[in-house]
Amino acid sequence: MPERLAALFRSSGGKGDRSQGPTIFRILALGASALLLMGWFLPWFVNDYSAGVGYSPQDALISPPTGIGTFCIYIMAAAMLIIVLSPIADAIASWRGIVMGRRATRIRFYAALIGFGLTVVVWFLVSIIQEEPLFGPFLPGTYADSAVWLTMYGYALAALVYGARPWILGRPSIAFTLAGAPFGIFLPLMFHQAPDFLLWAAGSLAIYMLLALGLNVVVGFAGLLDLGYAAFFAIGAYACASFASPIHGLHFPLWILIFLGAGIASVFGAILGAPTLRLRGDYLAIVTLGFGEIIPDLATNNVFNLTAGANGISGIDQPKYGPLDFSASPRWYYWAILIVVVAVVLLLRNIERSRVGRAWVALREDEVAAAATGINTTTTKLLAFAIGASVSGLAGAFYGSIVRIVSADDFSFSVSIAVLSIIVLGGIGNIAGVMLGSVILTFVIFWVLPNMSGWSATLSNTVHVPAIANFNLSSYTFLIYGAALILMMLLRPGGLLPSRARRIELESSGETESLAAVQGVA
Amino acid sequence: MSMQSGTPEAPLAQPGPTGGGTSRALVAQDGLAPRKGQASGPLHALGPVVRVTHDAISRYFTAVIVGAIVVAILVTLKQGGFTLAGQQLKNALVLGAIYALVAIGYTMVYGIIELINFAHGDVFTAAGFFAVFISGLLHLDGLAASGFGGLLLALAIVFPLSMIAAGLVGVVIELVAYRRLRDSPRLAPLITAIGVSFFIEGVLLLVEGPDNVPTDQASWINGTAFTIGKINILWTDLFVVGMALLLMFALGEFVRRTRLGKAMRSTAQDRTAALLCGININRTISATFFIGSALAAAAAVIYSINYGDIKWNIGFHLGIIAFTAAVLGGIGNIVGAGIGGFIIGLIYVFGGSIFGGEWSESLIFAVLVLILTFRPVGLFGVEVTTRA
Repeated sequence: MPERLAALFRSSGGKGDRSQGPTIFRILALGASALLLMGWFLPWFVNDYSAGVGYSPQDALISPPTGIGTFCIYIMAAAMLIIVLSPIADAIASWRGIVMGRRATRIRFYAALIGFGLTVVVWFLVSIIQEEPLFGPFLPGTYADSAVWLTMYGYALAALVYGARPWILGRPSIAFTLAGAPFGIFLPLMFHQAPDFLLWAAGSLAIYMLLALGLNVVVGFAGLLDLGYAAFFAIGAYACASFASPIHGLHFPLWILIFLGAGIASVFGAILGAPTLRLRGDYLAIVTLGFGEIIPDLATNNVFNLTAGANGISGIDQPKYGPLDFSASPRWYYWAILIVVVAVVLLLRNIERSRVGRAWVALREDEVAAAATGINTTTTKLLAFAIGASVSGLAGAFYGSIVRIVSADDFSFSVSIAVLSIIVLGGIGNIAGVMLGSVILTFVIFWVLPNMSGWSATLSNTVHVPAIANFNLSSYTFLIYGAALILMMLLRPGGLLPSRARRIELESSGETESLAAVQGVA
Repeated sequence: MSMQSGTPEAPLAQPGPTGGGTSRALVAQDGLAPRKGQASGPLHALGPVVRVTHDAISRYFTAVIVGAIVVAILVTLKQGGFTLAGQQLKNALVLGAIYALVAIGYTMVYGIIELINFAHGDVFTAAGFFAVFISGLLHLDGLAASGFGGLLLALAIVFPLSMIAAGLVGVVIELVAYRRLRDSPRLAPLITAIGVSFFIEGVLLLVEGPDNVPTDQASWINGTAFTIGKINILWTDLFVVGMALLLMFALGEFVRRTRLGKAMRSTAQDRTAALLCGININRTISATFFIGSALAAAAAVIYSINYGDIKWNIGFHLGIIAFTAAVLGGIGNIVGAGIGGFIIGLIYVFGGSIFGGEWSESLIFAVLVLILTFRPVGLFGVEVTTRA
């Protein structure tokens, strides 16, 4: 039995999908630019601007040059400009059909290295030996650390991108993992000064990543459009709330609850999946949508006195294991969910490549043919629903424990659509794409939009432009979901990182090519 | 979970025209049955029981629905007497008229391109706001208050203008979002439709704000027409039902008698064959979207006159309920959608009066699940296109 369990998480030594090399390269290059820009602009947006941030070109812009640190910053600014403009230059070059030489790549690589080194130097000057009077005393509580980390990560990523281009093109998935993993793992340390951001990382990013991974099983692997996915999220969260709060006097530990939530949700997934077995794509979508509306209604109407009605269940326990005090900082939740995410990713990847995964593909492509080849469509479909729902239940249990109050409003249709938008944006059926999509969309929707009004006020103070003080996009959420879904479907239906099978499907545009065979080879 | 897996039944991708047991034979002939012994014990015995129950309910589904409604009316009669039941019946007809008009849009679009146009409910909402905007712009409220002739004139202005505006929105949606995806995998246009729905809701939220917007049309028609027992039948009630029936009749005649209507019917039956016969498919589909959206707009104007306020997201739930009506009547079947709308109105109102209003919507969603489980072709499913 342990061997079989271990086999579920086993990683095969495949090289991954090499054809994604250029896309991954572009995404990493853009990511490096984005990190540098964020690191540079971050201090402009936070309140304690004047407290001395001490590493970025903006200080040099507003203060007279005084010492070695300022000089370093001018050079850093040049390096940063090179890195930030590179993807744009690449895009223009490929549009005009120009081939950039190796020399350009080498220049960028050295710029990244120099930038990285100077960031370390300036950081050392300012915060440890406090050599530079220009920047003043360093106050804790600013976002300075985060900005420095972002900048350093950006330069490091740029160095990787431009220094190891052939390797990235050859082994895109390994490069992608290698570039993203440290950021994911060390995120709570990099942003330790910003508890809000950690809360976002744990409560939005990680949760939605789990949700998207689960929905990807149903929609991406098995091709069943589930529009009521938030229902299973709700079930997991309510399971957590019921078994770890004063409402029923039960106080289970979180690590049991996540299994409990996953189990209950998967049972519900199978139960709700059963009536839909004979339905086609769009009917299935509308039935699941109906379920997705019924489940929160049940909670709101306090059926069997289980859910405390519209007020929701409050006072959910937060665990404490010795020094790991989950109530003290969201970072423990973040790391806990990260471990779960890694486990889920490995599990799902192996399931995708297993007999069940191939059965899903066959089902997705042609249900009648799949049934004729001996696939038990009932079991296969129910398995997809149950597995997808269980991941959602996992996420729900964590969510309940993080927010401590669970009410039906948190699980409306827009949650299902958010998750759907994530997988459409990232790439339906591709695990890496789904993870990328969840990073992008949750960052925009749950971090940028809610904070936009505060940032624009600070920025208008900083740059003395009163007109932008009231710039606020927080009510654009629905518009963004809608635009993301429409534009992705029209312009890049495979998503940012299309799965291999989907890409072939889209490129052949209806011409029959055996996708099951393709997946079997992969 | 494995309740059905032991039975010789392999679910088919498409429920056949008869919806029930016959189509299944296509795949699962006796010789091709899944291996026995996957489910054993009580579950194995459950399989045939489930199947027989399922088939029985499928066959007598109409009777079940009608019976349930009759029982609900009787229960209401017993609880609240004639007055309450009569008033609820009136409410149900008014609500049902609006659902019927919206349902027709769903069923026409589904009939012709096999797409659940999720944006349809939001076109309804948008049309409601168009009506408010138009009557504000042209000061129709004063006109409507000036007497019967003024009221007629105001209605004659606001209805066509809102309908044309909403119809154009529908045409643009089809042109921008659906046309290019007509031959892509089925999931793609469906996801786009959801995107369009959210996009419209987002725009309405931005423009109109998150709160209820009162409409002045509520004061256009007032007074009681006549009284039966203690039930006051208002002029608005008569107006709503009458207008809906009139529009549905006009649409029926249009589809039955005109060339464009004939083109729609043939495109719905077989797009390729219609193309071969020289029918301009794109124009026909655009026309379908225009008419469906225009009917939704008419429903929205009626709604704003009858209920007096609209909100940016009313179209979403109303849309699902109307879609349920369309499914109940047999998707693709225009007359069925009209009747289905009234039936759903009855279920909504009487279900709400028995179980409590907070359950009304859940009840409708449950009905939707039941229909699709037991009788996906709807109550009048015979006329449905073969592909639906």
